[in-house]
Amino acid sequence: MIVVEDLWKRYRTDHGPGKWVLEGVGFVIPPKVNIGLVGKNGAGKSTLLSIIGGVDQPTRGRVERRCSVSWPMGFGGGLQGSLTGRQNSKFVCRIHGKEHEIPEKLDFVQDFAEIGEAFDDPVKTYSSGMRARLQFALSLAFDFDVYISDEITAVGDTAFRRKAQRAFADLAGRSSLVMVAHGEATLKEFCKAGIWLHEGKAYWFDDVGEALKAYNERLAQ
Amino acid sequence: MIGGLEPVRSSRIHSLCFSLKYPFGFCGLQHICSDIIGNLDYNLLLYRNSLRITLSVWKALLLREALSRLFSSRGAWFWLIAEPVAHMAVLGFLYAGIRQHTIGGIDALIWLVIGLQGYFLFKRTSGQMSGAIDSNRALFSYRQVQPIDAVLIRGVLEAVLMVAVIIVVFAGLAMIGYDIEPADPIIILQAFFGLWLFAVAVGLIVSAAAEVAPEIRQIFNMVMMPLYFISGVMIPIASVPEPYRDWLLINPLVHALDGAREGFAPYYHTAPGISMDYLYAWAVIGLFIGLLLHRRFANLMVTR
Repeated sequence: MIVVEDLWKRYRTDHGPGKWVLEGVGFVIPPKVNIGLVGKNGAGKSTLLSIIGGVDQPTRGRVERRCSVSWPMGFGGGLQGSLTGRQNSKFVCRIHGKEHEIPEKLDFVQDFAEIGEAFDDPVKTYSSGMRARLQFALSLAFDFDVYISDEITAVGDTAFRRKAQRAFADLAGRSSLVMVAHGEATLKEFCKAGIWLHEGKAYWFDDVGEALKAYNERLAQ
Repeated sequence: MIGGLEPVRSSRIHSLCFSLKYPFGFCGLQHICSDIIGNLDYNLLLYRNSLRITLSVWKALLLREALSRLFSSRGAWFWLIAEPVAHMAVLGFLYAGIRQHTIGGIDALIWLVIGLQGYFLFKRTSGQMSGAIDSNRALFSYRQVQPIDAVLIRGVLEAVLMVAVIIVVFAGLAMIGYDIEPADPIIILQAFFGLWLFAVAVGLIVSAAAEVAPEIRQIFNMVMMPLYFISGVMIPIASVPEPYRDWLLINPLVHALDGAREGFAPYYHTAPGISMDYLYAWAVIGLFIGLLLHRRFANLMVTR
């Protein structure tokens, strides 16, 4: 369970504090429910995910993670360009205190990511799809209670999306997923509940379809 | 249709979880900068405390940094040693071969090598540390990894590499027949450790300050250039007339380099007023400021 309590966030800009991105967002992410985050570009989806993931700090408010939470998988980072996929994987194993399990974890990542010999090439030579595969495989190598995914499924091909979806179906009942995606199909494939971010506020829907409907209705206006 | 959610009030039931997560109490600083303790996963806490996490992050970062420092480009490890050696060979030829045979009572080449090694130790350590945040930005998406970890680890790695370089250079000098046995090794260690500590302080300050105001990096590079000439690397400070000598003695590098030379041979004519206390005072105050800046701007550095 993750408790998000009255979260306010604004970024510092070159000319003083920027405008509020999140204005008092509060909700509880219950265990074992996959959640899709919808909202237009700049609504604060990635900001919210990185705060939930503990990478960013809110300006005001608090997030309590009463479970283990993955790092936010996304375009931004997590992989060091000059290192190979294998070296990056070892790094992640080490910081998570799994040094003694490195061989098994590497086998898993290599097997799941299916990027072949590129696993031993520097990550900067990867396509965005390959990066997504590696990041996804990496996070699945660890037993998190909640996985955070920031549009990462968007860049994978169909085969990979299927594979990821199957992996999460297997995890159902043990772990959950909080994700941002712009494809409605992807969201409906992966998620049950939905959160709609709109003008700094968050609205919870038990069904992700309802969240998408609210989002689309707003777009139509 | 739209169900807005009530904000959750913190309940007493969770106070136990809370005290586990924040053993030192929940403080407002959490909002300013993320704390190692604040980065803990609740579940992982059961078997990993913040110290263990930090240590495993340091180990991972050290291996990652060593890998890219030694093997990032073709023969990177070779140039790491070749650069200072070539530097010393050229200057050594000019000084010891042509100009004079002794400086301040000790062999000119030894005099030069100690100065250059110290200068390289300072320049490389502070320079590498000041660039640590940019090179590791991708890794800050793991909440265990904090900017200060990357910066500190680069300082440690640079110290290890410079020890290797120094050993190679002095072994080389011994093989061509120079007497490299220092009179008082402890004083040399003291001077070089103080110099390294000061370099770490500068690295910490520049790395944090440059995140807030990127212009600081330009100023840092501008200051590094003349440092080569005014730190007593090539020009003996003792030979500089007053009042300029006193001005040059403000620079803590002078104290480190001449201090190390004195440790090598007690009869070496140092500039009057060389003091290890002075060097260490700069290092300790600098470290304090550097750590303070990192604590204050930790959040800013990660989110930029």
